[in-house]
Amino acid sequence: MSATQAPATLIGSDLPRPDALGKVTGAARYPADLIRPGMLHLKAVFAHRPHARILEIDPAPALAHPGVVAVLTAADVPHNAYGLIEEDQPALCGDVVRFEGDRVALVAAESAEAAAEGARLVRVQYEDLPPVFDPETAMAPGAPLVHAEKGSNVVFHCPIRKGDIERGFAEADVILEDEFQTGWQEHAYLQPEAGIAYRDDEGRVVIETAGQWLHEDRRQIARMLGLPEEQVVIRYAAIGGAFGGREDLSLQHLLALAAWKLDRPVAMQWTREESIIAHHKRHPMRIRCRWGATREGKITAVQATVIADAGAYASTSVEVTKVASLFSSGCYEVPNIHVDGYAVYTNNVPTGAFRGFGAPQAQFAAEIMVTRLAHALGLDPVELRRRNIYREGSLEPTQNPLPPGVSAGAVLERCAAALNERRARSDDGNATPDPFIRRGVGIACGMKNVGYSFGFPEQATATVELFGRFEGERRARVRVGAADVGQGTHLALRQIAAETLQLPLEAVEMITDDSAEAPNAGSASASRLTLMAGRAVAEAAAKALAEWRDSEREHVVSTVTFRPPRTTPLDPVTGACTPNYCYGYAAQLVEVEVNLLTGQVRVPRVVSVHDVGRAINRQQVEGQIEGCLAQAVGYALLEDFQVKDGRVVTRYFNNYLLPTALDMPTEIEPVILELADPNGPFGARGVAEMPLVPFAAAVAIAIHDAIGVWVTRLPMTPERVLAALAAKSEGMQETGMAESALAR
Amino acid sequence: MIDRLDTRETESVPATGEAATTIRLETVVNGRPVSAEIEPRTLLLDFLRDRLGLTGAKRSCDVQVCGVCTVLLDGKPVSACSTLAYEAHGREVLTIEGLARFGELHPIQQAFMERTAIQCGFCTPGMILTTKALLDENPRPTREEIAAYLGGNLCRCTGYWMIIEAVEHAARLMAGEEDRS
Repeated sequence: MSATQAPATLIGSDLPRPDALGKVTGAARYPADLIRPGMLHLKAVFAHRPHARILEIDPAPALAHPGVVAVLTAADVPHNAYGLIEEDQPALCGDVVRFEGDRVALVAAESAEAAAEGARLVRVQYEDLPPVFDPETAMAPGAPLVHAEKGSNVVFHCPIRKGDIERGFAEADVILEDEFQTGWQEHAYLQPEAGIAYRDDEGRVVIETAGQWLHEDRRQIARMLGLPEEQVVIRYAAIGGAFGGREDLSLQHLLALAAWKLDRPVAMQWTREESIIAHHKRHPMRIRCRWGATREGKITAVQATVIADAGAYASTSVEVTKVASLFSSGCYEVPNIHVDGYAVYTNNVPTGAFRGFGAPQAQFAAEIMVTRLAHALGLDPVELRRRNIYREGSLEPTQNPLPPGVSAGAVLERCAAALNERRARSDDGNATPDPFIRRGVGIACGMKNVGYSFGFPEQATATVELFGRFEGERRARVRVGAADVGQGTHLALRQIAAETLQLPLEAVEMITDDSAEAPNAGSASASRLTLMAGRAVAEAAAKALAEWRDSEREHVVSTVTFRPPRTTPLDPVTGACTPNYCYGYAAQLVEVEVNLLTGQVRVPRVVSVHDVGRAINRQQVEGQIEGCLAQAVGYALLEDFQVKDGRVVTRYFNNYLLPTALDMPTEIEPVILELADPNGPFGARGVAEMPLVPFAAAVAIAIHDAIGVWVTRLPMTPERVLAALAAKSEGMQETGMAESALAR
Repeated sequence: MIDRLDTRETESVPATGEAATTIRLETVVNGRPVSAEIEPRTLLLDFLRDRLGLTGAKRSCDVQVCGVCTVLLDGKPVSACSTLAYEAHGREVLTIEGLARFGELHPIQQAFMERTAIQCGFCTPGMILTTKALLDENPRPTREEIAAYLGGNLCRCTGYWMIIEAVEHAARLMAGEEDRS
């Protein structure tokens, strides 16, 4: 194919990933593969205690060790406070440590072994302070303060008020209450944190590592070092997974600090244990809620209290709490809503971004409550959902109309059709040939914002260059600082550029992984890059092509910053605002098999329905759905992250159980609807997080269908399933329930 | 009080610079004889990565549960992070770098590319080598046999579905049943 021949269409094609060759041959370079002889090796000294005052740090024994070159402490950090939203975390603790993974010193040595030995030899004298591990205890007056200067452990309170909650419950024929608890979740990206840093010939400090947002890493590191941002360069190597876990700085700033202070190339890699204790997790949440509905199947009121354990530092807890609060009433239009969300500091591991970002926790509770309401009203759960589900123009809890492109009903109907098909072909009984296995089926819906919310500045910039004297010579270079964490965004953006420019894929070069060479497209998070970076690339490409055709120039450059419709901050009293400009909608059908003897739950089949607007690369969309479902299986059933007295118990993958090929459903049916989003490039909207949103609830609903008990804690381990069964056989009502059916 | 909770500080680990006994390792890596003086405690993964520059095997879980560091030792998959380099003495090691021959991809590599059984790619070298051991033992495995054999190789991105399809595809390619183009 010559460069002049435009491909029929690149959008929707299963084009092979350009990065696949390096990944199957071992040639791809991940951060730890960049380490070269002659570099200094860094090792952090971790606090290994939940809350203490640092009395003294004595580096002398470490410095006396052969090979140790330097021990850096808080005094070496020019601006010793960082964070994505709030600067409440020290790079190296100077006065107080607030969780076991806090770093108090950084040892640099000529070998990794000498650095490790040096880190063991740094003598830190502590005075232990009273810790607090439970977020509700931390909210009580007189609780030990994690950040004494703040005067309270409440990081953020998110109130959402809509309608009149008293009237909403007065109008209800049925009112149900329950409490739900969700667990921490570890990202468990297989590539542990690693990287190198050095000063280049222009005197800039260069950090080569993995992350989710080049320019935000650069901003935070420049601020820490007191340098102009141009003096800091972030480059991403091949990134071994992220899932939100690389959104916060982990060791990037420590690499930068050492390279800057010592003026030598430095290298650092975390062990798995260091990664698990030191990087943030998914928020555990406690959700108490009360739902009311009329006999006619109209949900009239939702009241909820959401308490999120933020751990020792804020990270993105404020934003996660807003998202969880917003979705406390699920994807249903409810006239009367009263939600109070809280993010609370504790001396546990910090929590932050993780695929789903607060939506899975909230909708685990919401979807179970909707199902229980249907049961209480004698209605089909699909029918109750249908009567209340978001439509075009529905008012959100924040009192604004939903952004156009509401497909909640469409995904529900497609999922309901799958349920009907299943009912038509099986007798739908719970029994199986094995007398101890019961079968059940559940359906749940979910939604999640695409892109940044609540007034957080949202934009993406791309530059497209076109070269060539005449059409047959035309080729392009796309500069867009968007991280490919494995999801395949570089290929999707290249397809969008090539399609817009009417060029074959090979004629489009991508520059994506250098903060000095590619403009800021924002983070690889919030399922946003296909829409945001995709729009910026599409517009810059269209503009460049028009300019090239209108001029005689052999090289045109066009830069476009795409800004979606504006969102607005929450009103501090009512929560009123325009929270988001786009949502992804999902519905799932889940079949389970529950073992009555062991409590073990298997998921033989999942139908996962998603409106993706437009699949730019269908195979990659399916990859996102299947991969996200694996994490959802872990979240719902297996991954029991345990913290005892501030110490992570599950510090390795041998006691933190991740789904293997054997744990996956034997049948996964991804259903991709393409109902165009008004803002997306070619109509595309994001999909990466959505499969995690309804899944845990769908499993819980299927378990209830199988054995008649509700499991309200995540993960739904065999122990919890058996406990729920035992409570039922002891004649108690279904576990964890206080319900009252009020006659009007 | 001067202490740290970490009990590992009590372990006595000979540090760099101290005189350490070495032994001679004679092995074959990717078809080439290798002879090296190593400390007895040297891990195979460190030997491959740091001494031979073969970084295709990755460090991930450190405790032999994730399969990311898998290499083949006399054709059998082992976790290089938990195998002493000396265990390769007199034996043959195959890493991902040695799989393609004369510039031509192995059918398993081809199959993983064609079925997009790759996202971040960090598990891919270990997954491909485990697949090779499987298909050498059992050229036509069922899906259940594939899932069971790959049960020691974690992937956090793909959900395994496309990997299992790639293994089935590779089995067909190796049996000459499908055009490799």
